[in-house]
Amino acid sequence: MSVTLKALLKSPWVFHLATGSCNNCDIEILDCLTPRFDIERFGMKLAGSIRHADVLLVTGSCNRKSMVRVKNIYEEQVPKPCVVVAVGECSMSRGMFVHSYNCPRPLDKYIPVDVYIPGCPPKPEAIIAGVVKLIGKLKGTL
Amino acid sequence: MTRDSVLKDLRDKFCEDILDFFDKSPKRVYIEIKPVALVAAATYIFRDLGARFHIASGIDARTHLEILYHFSIETMNLLISLRVKLDKSNPSVDSLANVIKGANWIEREINELLGIDFPGHPDLRRLLLADEWPEGVYPLRRDYQEWDKQAVRDRGV
Repeated sequence: MSVTLKALLKSPWVFHLATGSCNNCDIEILDCLTPRFDIERFGMKLAGSIRHADVLLVTGSCNRKSMVRVKNIYEEQVPKPCVVVAVGECSMSRGMFVHSYNCPRPLDKYIPVDVYIPGCPPKPEAIIAGVVKLIGKLKGTL
Repeated sequence: MTRDSVLKDLRDKFCEDILDFFDKSPKRVYIEIKPVALVAAATYIFRDLGARFHIASGIDARTHLEILYHFSIETMNLLISLRVKLDKSNPSVDSLANVIKGANWIEREINELLGIDFPGHPDLRRLLLADEWPEGVYPLRRDYQEWDKQAVRDRGV
């Protein structure tokens, strides 16, 4: 395991990016951080800026205007290596907005996605399970 | 000023311009008005009756395009909706933005989503749609066709 990967897995800092979501996924992500689920046990913290983050966590329905910003963030601002986590139905298949004029493509057609956490919204348990799988995958044990 | 006197004043003042007067409930009145008289009627309701302008809502109906301008008079708990019906071939109605500042952005939005022209609007730029969106394509029209060849409309399962 490389040094950068080891450092990334010790305490992955997460940047939470909402691309036009209804805020339900965002509320569930907030639940993960609060003491009941306490995702900081795995060393995870929300970062204030993408430039400090190792994980890009995307929620929302990927509309035309926000995807320009997401691409900009992913291609130019994220320190690599970076893993991308799609949370919620909208960022995977756009959920009920699949035929919307403003949501032409799902997130993984714009940027590579490492983990998909389905649900509308996903429960905090599902988010934690997805994150644990992500860490396992990166370590090569899964 | 009571509800009845206000409505009677409105009917008398715009008697030739009002096409339909629908007294739906004690809280709600729909007034269909000719598009040429819209600015005068809205100015009267907004300035003289002291109503609050909430929002305008546009819809592409089967036979026409229509806009509803929603006003409320809080002292008498009354919602007045001014309805204008516009021709589909050349939808155009005078702008309220010079009288009511709050109508500026909603008219810009209706203009780009439904393609209704607002002559007299101070700044009819694009408000919400993306930059790559083609001119002359209105997403909330009934005859809207997908223009983006790269769009993926299945869920991939």
